[in-house]
Amino acid sequence: MKKITAFLVLNILLLGSLGGSVSAQAAGGSVLIKNATVMTAIRGTLEATDILVQNGKITRIGKNLSAPAGVRTIDATGKFVTPGIIDCHSHTMMDAVNEGSFSVTSMTRIRDVLNPKDIAIYRGLAGGVTAANLLHGSANSIGGQNSSVKFKWGKPVEDFLIPDAPPGIKFAMGENVKRSNFQPQGGVQPRYPRTRMGVVEVMRDAFLRAKDYKQSWDDFRAKKTKVPPRRDLELEPLVEILEGKRLVHAHGYRSDEHLNLLRIADEFGFKVATLQHGLEGYKIAPEIAKHGAGVSIFTDSWSYKLEAYDNTPYNAYIMWKAGVNVSINSDSNERMRRLNLDAAKVMKYGGVPEEEALKMITLNPAIQMGIGKRTGSIEVGKDGDLVIWNMHPFSPYSRVEMTLIEGDVYFDRAGDIARRAELAREREALERLEQNRPAGAGAAAPRPPSQFENGHLDDADHIDGGKR
Amino acid sequence: MKAKGKMQKARIAIALCLSIIVGSLSASAQSDGSEQNKTGTPGTFAIVGARIVTVTGAVIENGTILIRDGKIAAIGTNVSVPSGAERIDGKGLSVYPGMIDAATNMGLTEIGQGANATVDISEVGTMNANARAIKGINPHTSHINVTRVNGITTVLSHPTGGLISGQSAIINLNGATQDEMAVVADNALVINFPRVATGGGFGGFAFAQQAAAPDVNAAVRRRDEQVEELKKIFRDAEAYLKAREARQKDPSLPLVGIDLKMEAMAPYVRGQRPVLLPVQRERDIRAAVKFAEDMKVKAIIVGGQDAWKVADDLKRNNIAVIYTNIYSLPVQMDDPYDYLFEVPSKLQQAGVKFAISTGNDGSESRDLPYHAGLAGAYGLSKEEALKSVTIYPAEILGIADRMGSLEVGKVANVVVTDGDLLDPRTNVKYVFINGRKLPLTSRHTQLFDSFKDRK
Amino acid sequence: MRTKLILVLCAVFCIAFSSSAYGQSYAITNARIVTVSGPAIEKGTIVVREGLIFAVGANVAVPADAIVFDGTGMTVYPGFIDAVSNLGMPAAPQRPAGPGGGAAAAAAAAAAQQAPTSNSNYPAGLRPEDMAADDLRAGDGQFEAARAAGFTTALVTGRSGIFNGQSAVINLAGDNVSGMIVRSPLAHHISFATIPGGYPGSLMGTFSALRQMFLDAQRQMEIEKLYEANPAGIRRPAADRSLSALYPALNRQMPVVFNAVTEREIVRALDFIREFNLRGIIAGGHEAGSVVDRLKAQNVPVIFSLNLPRRTTSAAADADPETLMTLRMREAVPKAPAALNNAGVKFAFQSGGLQSLTDFFANAAKTTENGLSKEAAIRAMTLGAAEILGVDKQLGSIEVGKIANLAVVKGDVFARDRFVSRVMVDGKVFEFKEQPRPPQGGPRGPGGPGGNPGGGAGGPGGPSVAGTYNITINIPGQPLPATLTITQQGNTVSGTMTSQLGTTAMTGNMSASGFSMSGGIEFGGSSITIVMQGSVAGSQISGNIDSPQGQIPFTGTRNP
Repeated sequence: MKKITAFLVLNILLLGSLGGSVSAQAAGGSVLIKNATVMTAIRGTLEATDILVQNGKITRIGKNLSAPAGVRTIDATGKFVTPGIIDCHSHTMMDAVNEGSFSVTSMTRIRDVLNPKDIAIYRGLAGGVTAANLLHGSANSIGGQNSSVKFKWGKPVEDFLIPDAPPGIKFAMGENVKRSNFQPQGGVQPRYPRTRMGVVEVMRDAFLRAKDYKQSWDDFRAKKTKVPPRRDLELEPLVEILEGKRLVHAHGYRSDEHLNLLRIADEFGFKVATLQHGLEGYKIAPEIAKHGAGVSIFTDSWSYKLEAYDNTPYNAYIMWKAGVNVSINSDSNERMRRLNLDAAKVMKYGGVPEEEALKMITLNPAIQMGIGKRTGSIEVGKDGDLVIWNMHPFSPYSRVEMTLIEGDVYFDRAGDIARRAELAREREALERLEQNRPAGAGAAAPRPPSQFENGHLDDADHIDGGKR
Repeated sequence: MKAKGKMQKARIAIALCLSIIVGSLSASAQSDGSEQNKTGTPGTFAIVGARIVTVTGAVIENGTILIRDGKIAAIGTNVSVPSGAERIDGKGLSVYPGMIDAATNMGLTEIGQGANATVDISEVGTMNANARAIKGINPHTSHINVTRVNGITTVLSHPTGGLISGQSAIINLNGATQDEMAVVADNALVINFPRVATGGGFGGFAFAQQAAAPDVNAAVRRRDEQVEELKKIFRDAEAYLKAREARQKDPSLPLVGIDLKMEAMAPYVRGQRPVLLPVQRERDIRAAVKFAEDMKVKAIIVGGQDAWKVADDLKRNNIAVIYTNIYSLPVQMDDPYDYLFEVPSKLQQAGVKFAISTGNDGSESRDLPYHAGLAGAYGLSKEEALKSVTIYPAEILGIADRMGSLEVGKVANVVVTDGDLLDPRTNVKYVFINGRKLPLTSRHTQLFDSFKDRK
Repeated sequence: MRTKLILVLCAVFCIAFSSSAYGQSYAITNARIVTVSGPAIEKGTIVVREGLIFAVGANVAVPADAIVFDGTGMTVYPGFIDAVSNLGMPAAPQRPAGPGGGAAAAAAAAAAQQAPTSNSNYPAGLRPEDMAADDLRAGDGQFEAARAAGFTTALVTGRSGIFNGQSAVINLAGDNVSGMIVRSPLAHHISFATIPGGYPGSLMGTFSALRQMFLDAQRQMEIEKLYEANPAGIRRPAADRSLSALYPALNRQMPVVFNAVTEREIVRALDFIREFNLRGIIAGGHEAGSVVDRLKAQNVPVIFSLNLPRRTTSAAADADPETLMTLRMREAVPKAPAALNNAGVKFAFQSGGLQSLTDFFANAAKTTENGLSKEAAIRAMTLGAAEILGVDKQLGSIEVGKIANLAVVKGDVFARDRFVSRVMVDGKVFEFKEQPRPPQGGPRGPGGPGGNPGGGAGGPGGPSVAGTYNITINIPGQPLPATLTITQQGNTVSGTMTSQLGTTAMTGNMSASGFSMSGGIEFGGSSITIVMQGSVAGSQISGNIDSPQGQIPFTGTRNP
């Protein structure tokens, strides 16, 4: 932990990349939730229980708690409370997904292209999602640097960043990386690599270059060389991986490819944080468990492409049984809104216990993203990231009533419904303005400035809208 | 000795290869082994002491349902179990009619991307009335077992694309041949009804309107032109059929050459069978309704995001909606977040006949109950949610005399569960199609079995 | 016939004429003088000699050698400054607005490919060494429309690329470039654009590429210092003019102007400015009102575009309603200058691609109806602009010793019936005759700001678009090649597009801006309706494909 903090400080000094992130972190809200069925995702389900959040942190969990002066009380009688849902694979609020020019684009940063006004954020909150791992697409062997965010809708973009989240990066293998579905025509050279063999070599090459790069800096610092080496933004994040300071989130489908990556990781002495998608993880569950990687899956999406044909919804169960940290992600602005039902399914497929199923959309992804110490379960000392449901969240008839992040309410169904008339009135007034009145001849209203209307199952394929 | 060793090595190698192939996709994209393709066991089955959710009648607690000769032979609390019947203890279990997914491409595509050879969803050209889904459906697609073990026993499968995509089929999810599966081989004509397309979308910049915005009025004109083209096809078909019929009666009349595409239009231009019109937006639904009115065809709307806004038109013309948008994001940025979840409830309140479907290519059709469940979270009652995937689609598809509820005399498409059919935690314990008890295996259980004990 | 037409056009548009040479003395008498730097003089005289302001005041004597203009009923302002423009720059494809820039982006890509070879280490579009002054064209004619609107000075930069080209402050008169230039180079200009078909090919890549370049420049500077101190044992640093062009920016000697219109873009620019401790300036700035605190904290001025957003589309019964976000944005933008002013953020105005410069003043008036004082608005187009550009010692106000750039205006400068009777540029006089107002819009000078002469041919009556084209659909990060065949009959066009996604038949028609066709495309088992709009110029085709999933540009060439 200390290491990570030190690294962050270094990062800020050196790169200034987190620029605004340190300044604007507000203290967080205070709230008392009364008399709920609390699914803690770590210590079972507590009936008729109160949760007190103060300045963003959970300070008490118990019965008959009373609200300190000025703290709002929410009566949750008959309702369920869970930790906020965490989506470990998301492209929400990103104005760009892939930098497809090269197969190694570790210099790119999702942080540079965040859009805090993406309506998908709000819709995600309405499905109980409070945090997400925003990943570069899967067009490249080594993609860009991730952003770990909380969905603080309405706040400036720097408030979305989770300040102590360890940095991560996207890797990818398989169909998308080797551009299987995008054959160049008419004399255009295909991008290297074109085979799974090449993908492995691209990764090894990158890490070997990174080692040389690190050596060149070590030599300079040891005054063996006169001239400072070039700061190489492509290799720096790879050095951080080698030093265990940056988490690798690796897109892949086939079990052999995952294993190849784990072998590369072994060769270069780092640990893979998550295998993303991992639809064949069940085939190599013991190896994954031994390596210590997490796997972030779709519960049961399959057959949408050749690589996805060998998925089985029992995947989660087999890996869980083998001791792998499993999370369930959406990779989709649409699916994100119903991750609770995806978690519910793993109870059926093999029989994952209820709390373990809940963990797969809360604590487990938090651990995979390196933020398990601050969020993902309902415990004293953790962030007040909470969802209030009208009934058991695994019921098909369940619905989010309220979503809180650090004690502040970011979604409130009753408020949303009440606000609709007001918005209609506002629209009417705005439409009367001269600049909003129709012009002479012509055309239609522009579509909303939202980057991705629908999410997508597989992130290199975003022209398909993903409704598959 | 040496030779023997070599032989043994080869054998081991072969065995290894085989074991790899069993679970690997390359060898099994087209067929998925004998176990899951079993078409089940016929017989007489009595599920005794179960909660029987008939859908059309009252729920029967502690009842018995008797399946015989492929049909539901008896339901009630006082049903005697005939000798020779397989008795299934229904204690703690619930019995439901099999669910019906009314708008899929089941069997027409196995792997949408990267395996074109498995895709038979869309024919070349604009007018393909003679393209019949029943002839393209792969009875052995792995999607079928995966779907039926979750309680979906019947689906409509339809081609897409072009202007007239072809004819859909209603199939039971069991059978070694297309004929065995067919409930109604050719039940409806799929018209890829022209829509107002204005595009837009990405851009990402609020100032995109400074650039040329798409012209909606022009898009409407384009759509209307295409609708005219469509109407012309219908009129041409009528003329063709009239001329062919007349010639048959009077051989002195000139011979009109056979045209399979026009032939296929007969039941549809005559209003004997319905047309499926996939439209979502209000403007396009209105145009589709008008088309149905003008051409006097029986229409069913598929999609129907805005259908509730057109409720009066739909009711007046007795047009039902197969709603496929539970797993969709609202189109407009300012649409309420739950806009598409609430549509079934709004349709129900408005008195429009509707069903809920996945609209899926087949691989995710097994999620049908959760589509209905989500509608249940947003306004629809639990009872209506269940009906929207059982008796309502049966009624819309014209098979309610045979399916969609548990009633004596109906086809024994029966699902036995340990909980609410629409709940993702519920386990399906038995599935019967045409009275055959099916194995609860699928590609997914096979892969599970192959690897669950790997250490 | 042709000559006659030109003569007629001149009668309408080219009403300016120049009189006399630079050395001449002039006096404008009996005029109201808005000095901007000090209080207005209700009735006074300005004397101009050898291109500079020689005297100004209520009681200034008219020198014997001066030609006298009676300014009764007139107001004299410092010549107006368009604080970012493309005036005098060669016509090129319009700068893409962003990832959705569509045809413009495609055209820019085509232009980049056709650009002359360079010995730069960086691709076209990523060359900070490029100078606007090198491309600037001399000649008075191109500035007539701008002068007729009262403009005498502009900051000009290129129209495309990530680095648009180091800008120059020019006076809007002169027979040669060196005579026009007031200061060059003045600033770097950065757009968050991409390099189609290359790196960076995405917005993400744009930031990484810029970041790496600035870091490389920092290091290059250090090594050069080391090498200069003692070259022994050090490999000689490469002579990289792209990197060395960034030294003045890194040393805060040269400002860096970021084209940033939306809040997101402005915030991203501010982050980058902070990261490299740049002297940043925001150009565009429509949503600057939402980030005044950060602008103030970082001391970053805004060159606000008066190309105010408004609905340009007609009512269509079947159209989707506009988004609240768009409606609110259009309401908020005219309020931004007041917000900047109140917060003490320096700001100036630019035309920002306005078709008619008359709208510049009409739109400035809208900002005054939204909380900005008229004085502040005048300042934003005169001294305020000069200050931000660092030329306030010689421009921007009516003070003795400053360049004689003046605008003589009849009527309220913000009113629609305003008339600029005379401007002076470097002491050179241009007079205008009042004439009946054209029914719509204002005069459009050649090369006027935002003029986009790069439009496609092939409108009704234009050349046929029929043919077979090899096109590339520029899906971000994964260009998709396709073959497009178009047939045309009168205004009706039809076509087929074949790619690995299949074959799509489309029909549509021609309009003034090109062709538009629609059809269904199969993808992953579902049918998507797409609209293809584009135009043909020579053998080049370009345009956009609109689908429910978004707008994607395409470009291509006709098969012979």
